[in-house]
Amino acid sequence: MTDKSLDDRTLHFSGVASRLRRLDASMLLWLALIALLAFLVLNPILRLIISSLQETDTGRFTFANYRVAYGNVRHLQALTNSLELGIGVALLATCFAVPIAWAISRTDMPGKAFVRLMVFAAFVTPPYLGAIGWILLAGPNSGWLNKVWMALTGAGHGIFNIYSMTGLILVVAVTSFPYTFVFTSSALDLVSSEMEDAANILGARTLRTTLRITLPLVTPAIIGGIIISFLEAIALFGAPALIALPARFNVVSTQLWQFFEYPVRVEEAAAYAMPLLAITVLMFWLQRSLLGRKGYTSVTGKGGERRMIALGRWRWAMLGYALFVCALSVFLPMLVLLQAAFAKAWGRGFSIDNLTFHNFYYLLVEQTQAKQTILNTFVYSAVTAFAAISLSLAIAYVVSRKLVPWSNVLAFLCVAPFVIPGIVLAIGFYAAYAPPPLALYGTATILILGFTTRFLPIAYTSSAAGLRSINPEMEEAVRILGGSRLLAIRKVLIPLLKKSLAGAWILVFIPATRELSSAIFLVGPHTRVISVMLFDLSEEGNFEVLSALGVILLIATVAIAGIGYRVIGRDFMLRRN
Amino acid sequence: MFTIRRRNFVIGSSAFLALGIGQNGLAQPAPSMTPHEMELYNAAKEEGGELTWYTAHSDDITAQALGRSFESTYPGVKVNVLRTTAQVAYQRVTQEIKASAVQCDVFSSTDIGHSVELKAKGALEKYIPENASKVLDIYKGYDPDGYYFVTSAGLIGIGYNTAKVKAADAPKNWTDLLDPKWNNNIALGHPGFSGYVGTWALTLRNQYGWQFFEKLAKNNPRVGRSINDTVTMLNAGESAIAGCGPVGTLLESVQKGNPLAIVYPTDGSVLILAPSSIMKGSKHPNAARLFMEFLMSKEASQIWVDHFNESIRPEISPPKGARSAKDLKTIRPTVAEITKGIPEVIKQWRETFGV
Amino acid sequence: MSRLKLGGLSKRYGDFLAVDGIDLELQSGEFVSLLGPSGCGKTTTLRMIAGFVDPTLGTIEMDGQVLSSPAGSIPPDRRQMSMIFQSYAIWPNMTVHQNVAFGLELRRIANVEVKRRVGEMLEVVHMNHLADRYPAELSGGQQQRVALARAIVIRPSVLLLDEPLSNLDATLREEMRFEIRRLHDEFHVTTVYVTHDQAEAMVTSDRIAVMNHGRIEQVDNPRALYNKPATRFVAGFIGRTNFIEGTSDGHEISFDGFALPRSAFERDVPSQGKAVFSVRPHSMRLSDVPPTARDGFTSIGVIVLERAFLGEHWDYVVKPHQGALTLKVTTSPLDDFPIGATAWLEFEPRQMASIA
Repeated sequence: MTDKSLDDRTLHFSGVASRLRRLDASMLLWLALIALLAFLVLNPILRLIISSLQETDTGRFTFANYRVAYGNVRHLQALTNSLELGIGVALLATCFAVPIAWAISRTDMPGKAFVRLMVFAAFVTPPYLGAIGWILLAGPNSGWLNKVWMALTGAGHGIFNIYSMTGLILVVAVTSFPYTFVFTSSALDLVSSEMEDAANILGARTLRTTLRITLPLVTPAIIGGIIISFLEAIALFGAPALIALPARFNVVSTQLWQFFEYPVRVEEAAAYAMPLLAITVLMFWLQRSLLGRKGYTSVTGKGGERRMIALGRWRWAMLGYALFVCALSVFLPMLVLLQAAFAKAWGRGFSIDNLTFHNFYYLLVEQTQAKQTILNTFVYSAVTAFAAISLSLAIAYVVSRKLVPWSNVLAFLCVAPFVIPGIVLAIGFYAAYAPPPLALYGTATILILGFTTRFLPIAYTSSAAGLRSINPEMEEAVRILGGSRLLAIRKVLIPLLKKSLAGAWILVFIPATRELSSAIFLVGPHTRVISVMLFDLSEEGNFEVLSALGVILLIATVAIAGIGYRVIGRDFMLRRN
Repeated sequence: MFTIRRRNFVIGSSAFLALGIGQNGLAQPAPSMTPHEMELYNAAKEEGGELTWYTAHSDDITAQALGRSFESTYPGVKVNVLRTTAQVAYQRVTQEIKASAVQCDVFSSTDIGHSVELKAKGALEKYIPENASKVLDIYKGYDPDGYYFVTSAGLIGIGYNTAKVKAADAPKNWTDLLDPKWNNNIALGHPGFSGYVGTWALTLRNQYGWQFFEKLAKNNPRVGRSINDTVTMLNAGESAIAGCGPVGTLLESVQKGNPLAIVYPTDGSVLILAPSSIMKGSKHPNAARLFMEFLMSKEASQIWVDHFNESIRPEISPPKGARSAKDLKTIRPTVAEITKGIPEVIKQWRETFGV
Repeated sequence: MSRLKLGGLSKRYGDFLAVDGIDLELQSGEFVSLLGPSGCGKTTTLRMIAGFVDPTLGTIEMDGQVLSSPAGSIPPDRRQMSMIFQSYAIWPNMTVHQNVAFGLELRRIANVEVKRRVGEMLEVVHMNHLADRYPAELSGGQQQRVALARAIVIRPSVLLLDEPLSNLDATLREEMRFEIRRLHDEFHVTTVYVTHDQAEAMVTSDRIAVMNHGRIEQVDNPRALYNKPATRFVAGFIGRTNFIEGTSDGHEISFDGFALPRSAFERDVPSQGKAVFSVRPHSMRLSDVPPTARDGFTSIGVIVLERAFLGEHWDYVVKPHQGALTLKVTTSPLDDFPIGATAWLEFEPRQMASIA
């Protein structure tokens, strides 16, 4: 008996010892990462929820904030307006994106490379810049399109009024459809032509096959796109501020802005923001339940060849549609923005005596902040991209190799910020970190932290996808030869992931350069970024200088993305060959 | 006689120059810096040579011009010009105060109510500039305690696009804006953003009661943000009438070649007094004081006039074709009315106009 | 009139001639395989029959009507054919029932009728109890059955199968071979079956067309193809064989190490010059004593060089005492000859196929 108990104790002791041994340096690193995630994601969200239930200045528990936030009819109206905007944008963006994605991925439509480039241009354009362009195009009395209409038909007034819910939906949809496009075309690239052939030979022609077989097969991607468009739309601040205000309606984001007027009512803002969070969570739940048991990928491995469908004369119709969408999202707005950027007074139109370089000169030479602002934008975005990718890669690694228990919680936290509209996240950050003890108000730090959190979901999804494609046996080979885990990561994993990471970097960098909704609350006088400056410029109606700044932003972003594309060597917009 | 005296002066000073006696004095950047200015200037350079200025007093271009002028007058002191609308500037400054991280050194809002509030909260620094006594009488003495001073002024009238509206048909008074013939053709700003618009709305409420705005709302005006938005609308041809037209911006636009004209309403143009103050806790107090002096100097007024705004110094005459505030019938609310009234007006505006 | 007729069918891709002058006729209800290695043009031929690819030369006719020609083709959706794909191409977002019903719904058949026919068909393929499952919930064999049901339920004039069994494991493959043949027999569908596996072709087909480099080398029923291969390629492709060369001088054929009279052979053998024969490994017999002379049989002495025991049979490599020729022989598992042993090899010249 004594022997046995001795054995038992020995076993127990060695168990504890081995667990302690496992607590090596890498484990501490993982714990640090988890703490970081809690700081970035959990704390602001919690602060937000707590703030909403706190009384201003005293901190006592109260529901008063919710009463103030929702007791007002106008506030409720803003909420329904946001929903209307979200649904409208989601539907319109889908109508834009899906046919084009289908045409590019599965048919012999000509001009694919050009259309792809235009979709990318739409992706790079910030919605508020697109809004400015469309104001210049479709202002009810002065917009170019209306002037053309009036000239052609002799009518007394134009037919397009951008200052309307319809106008706002259009403006937002033309800059957010690229997301749906990318998801849908990636998914379509994976559908084997045999799926379509099977329907074909049973008697279904191209249209019926597309509607009943091909598109239903990519339903998850389309739904993903719908959800993202919806969430983007309800969280936007810039475009609604420019268009909804003159149209005399409010949406949740512009209403939230009012809570930040003097006196600053963070608590009421937090309470008002809660439904946005609830809606987003609802969206994701809806997505999971809609998709359910059905499978969507081809169940066998072989036969994945993809052939282009010959459309005959219809390919010109598809190209026409694609070019129409490109005109709405890129050609027309860019044209007017360029005209305004080089104009003395944009209202005077296209004439030689109206041309000038002065706007650019003013920005780059006379205006003292512009240079700093431009620099800030790209530096902050670059740092954000690096931070987001590093953090998300580390977390993705921990999750995929199951290094800690409940690693799925980590994955959830990484993706959770997606659920929070940018403006709400900024308020949370503001509540959590702007005042003392951290006192990060007006620093570059709080801006970068906010951005990093905001774009963590994109970074994480890309990193996780990249990691999934790498066989763990690669690292195991290093470890069995005596190398540590960190060595395996440095020498094997990261080199293998280089291209995928570079693509993810750009996917974070570009939206960061154009981010307005979260920036507007977090910038200080020395940390202004281009998006906020554009917004401020729009307040004084200086469209000429504003357009020039917008042009600078677009050129620089495209240049950087172009360099990135060369480095990566493949289209980072998730295109497969 | 006068001429001889001048010639003598010229000869004399040339001799002076030739002898190089005044060398030291000539090396000084500002030919007429008072000793007080000199003192502030040196101290400003020592504390870092920098200044952050939040201003809603003008558009970006004018604000930048003022900043550059200051920098060239006092080399070595940099000005960070941050131009926004008044409410946005106020919002930023109050955020900073709440976060105990004041970045703004000089605060210039177009809503005098802001200064009153900030003074009451103890957020302002007391300083009476030398130049305070040298401005026009109508701009003197709004805060005898010396926490805020009027450094710029503006007039609001009615503007119209001459290509769309004949002079004879144009509105002559504020009440003409209610005429249904202007339906869908009036541009306004928003008091929730612009201090000018807030003061204008308050003035007209005092004059005509809030029913004026309820009736105005029926004419479907285009509501922007800044008061300058109205001029943009006119220039673009989007609206025919600027219901609250900033005279300075209108004049500038006319000079650029746009087909605009100004009406000084018969019941009176609204006079805006825009104050500046030094923030307590400012990191550059001496630069801030120097800047306050500058804002009330002749140089600054010259720049205002060059950009078609009001001059606050008697030495500088108004821009060509414009009438100075002191020569016009003007109406404006009292400071006390502004402090209480503008938040009220913002609320009423939101109810009436929906945003 | 034949059901399906391919006349001089060719397909060229740039410089590459994938299909080179195919002539084939199928009678109604016939089951014909296109058998050959990868790249021989069988899948391209099948896709031309289906209408997914247009021919460069030649025609495809069904019941006398031209379906495909270089001038133009009727598209696949109007050919009244059916196809089973290598990947089955079962739509994963539809249930088994919905998959099978698809073709019927396209033909505007009444709902009640659709349900009935789908139910019947699923019964036939033993999948009725899984009608509401999604493909992701099915095994490989079950998915295969769904593909078959979907294809046959619409009563196609021609059923096309493109290597349908290549994704299955050996046992399942055997089972499904019989299934396919059984369904064919039950519904009398004219069938074209593409495969590279000769066992599949042998089990299922009425006739097999052996293809190589875009041409048909021989079309025949499985037994004739096996026993009387017309070309070297066919002989080597279908089952294993020995190739032996001899020289004929009119009366007898001299091989390396032995000779045989020309009269002993069944078919026409060249009277002069080179004669090549295919001799199947199990058409010969090994014994340790000289076999008694029998009519039509010859025997020679051999030495055993190599051997391998495969459970169901022995594979031997033997060499006649004279000459350098080696022969593969397959015997029953009971015939145990050690390496180096001498033995007698008995074979029947009638079973030696003369190769052109």
